[in-house]
Amino acid sequence: MATSISAQERVSAGPAKRPRRIHWIAYLLVAPYVIYNLVFWVYPFVWGLIIAFQEWNIVSPRKEWVGLGNFQQVVTNSQFWNALWVTAKFWIVFLPAVTVASLLLALMLQRVSHFRGFYIAAYLASYTMAGVAYSVVFMLLLSGNGLINTWIWKLFHVRVPWFTDPRLAMISIAMVVVWKFVGYYGLIFLAGLNAIPRELYDAAAVDGANAWQRFLHITIPLLNPSFTVVFVFATILSYGIFTEPYLITGGGPLGSTQTFMLLIYQKTFENLEAGLGSAMAISMAALSFASTGVVRRLIEREVAL
Amino acid sequence: MIGSLVRSRKNRRHLTSVAIYAVLTAGALFWLFPFVWMFLASIKPTEEIYTRFWPTRLTLEHYRLVLQGGVALQRPFLRAFFNTLFVASVQTAAIVFIGAITGYALGRLEFRARDALFNAILYQMIFPGILFLIPTFLLVLRLNLINTYAGMIVRFLTDATGVFLFTQFFKTIPQDLIDAARMDGAGEFTIIWRIMIPLSASVTAFVAIFNFMARWDEFLWNLIVVRDYDLMTLPVLLAVFTKGEYGDYPGAQMAAATILTLPILLLFMLFRRYFEEGIVTTGLKG
Repeated sequence: MATSISAQERVSAGPAKRPRRIHWIAYLLVAPYVIYNLVFWVYPFVWGLIIAFQEWNIVSPRKEWVGLGNFQQVVTNSQFWNALWVTAKFWIVFLPAVTVASLLLALMLQRVSHFRGFYIAAYLASYTMAGVAYSVVFMLLLSGNGLINTWIWKLFHVRVPWFTDPRLAMISIAMVVVWKFVGYYGLIFLAGLNAIPRELYDAAAVDGANAWQRFLHITIPLLNPSFTVVFVFATILSYGIFTEPYLITGGGPLGSTQTFMLLIYQKTFENLEAGLGSAMAISMAALSFASTGVVRRLIEREVAL
Repeated sequence: MIGSLVRSRKNRRHLTSVAIYAVLTAGALFWLFPFVWMFLASIKPTEEIYTRFWPTRLTLEHYRLVLQGGVALQRPFLRAFFNTLFVASVQTAAIVFIGAITGYALGRLEFRARDALFNAILYQMIFPGILFLIPTFLLVLRLNLINTYAGMIVRFLTDATGVFLFTQFFKTIPQDLIDAARMDGAGEFTIIWRIMIPLSASVTAFVAIFNFMARWDEFLWNLIVVRDYDLMTLPVLLAVFTKGEYGDYPGAQMAAATILTLPILLLFMLFRRYFEEGIVTTGLKG
């Protein structure tokens, strides 16, 4: 029976096309993915949209439609705008710092011929450390009487309030995240650098361009795809910071590290305001989308190599 | 004259190269410093953690406290280790298995709605996870899976990026191999396991390692789903423990952090090449 079907198919499909008798099995193969994602992706997504228009404390069966009430609360909630400010502070420190550091790393890695594997591993190891693990490590290392402050005290007779000064706390967290991501973004830049043809540099050198001019007029513009990827990754990441402030500062001091994720976590799972939490999550996702859109718009260029 | 010019250029290049090695080495030490400090803090007496880098004597008391429990404090860290291993392994196995069969169908078979499905998966890759946190929690609550292994596991059983990578890579495998296998009577599953996966070892390894790492590291979801100490994964137990009654035991915290870090570090060192290749590929696809 199988042969008769395949023979039929072959005739209808013509000699140029492959036998098309196997269509049905594709549905079987994609079924687990599709069914799982209908239940645990599409359904929660729709439900999340609905909850955002309801007032509900999770535990009681009573739900009340409140229209745009939750979103009104989001817009007038000072904690929400504070979270946006915290995210902006993080972004303003994190993005330039991580970009410069990982680009420098990539430029240096490109020039070394020995121990390259070791160097890449050394800078990438931080990316593999669990968020909870390095958060606790930095919390102790940078605490008021921690080792780093002990050393700084010996040298300068001051102590740096890394996580206890409201002006400094989010910046310190941003630096910790820079530590985590330099190797990762460095590899993205390294791949971008390796994709730039050497002849361009040789030709420019013949024309009398010095190293700085070559960097400015060849490397930077041709590295645009890598810049775009790193900027977009860094922007998305800025909205998703949770583990570090949860463990190190708990959102303080004075709300200076209360990120969106921390705020949504507290509203939903500590205060049990599921509707407000959902409305905040949707608003945050919209802001994140808009920010990445703007970043892309501002820096992405067509590059022809 | 030209000779001396060339020589001075060579010297300068030599100097630059020495400087680069020096900066890279200093930076690498700086980057590895938290690892070294964490490990040393886990084996030195408590009073030296804040004051000294090198310990004056070594001790295993912190590991004993974490693994066997103290007089008043009993926390199941060893159990948490196996909880994490179990949850992350089941999730990774599902992600690789489902990813491979879905990627095979999308990359190599023709069926209606294939392009629509592929586009949907591309969209999934850029959707912020925060949109799913609350409703998925409510779903798991409704399914009565709060405070269970299933509740933790069920959140991450597929990975859109993994499917994307499998699809793209499977497209590059020569059709002749598949045709020959079919001629020999191989079914689709045999083709996937005997041809596609072995020929895509680097992609499979990357999807497996990357997801295992992320699942091992998972914090927020497991934090909200599990209440019992016996069910907690390492990150959750370490966090609860640090914010709670073990706040005054930095040595024990560092011992637990070391236990949390070492398996992934080992995995990373063993499969570094796949890991690096994977980052570059996903970075390029961005």
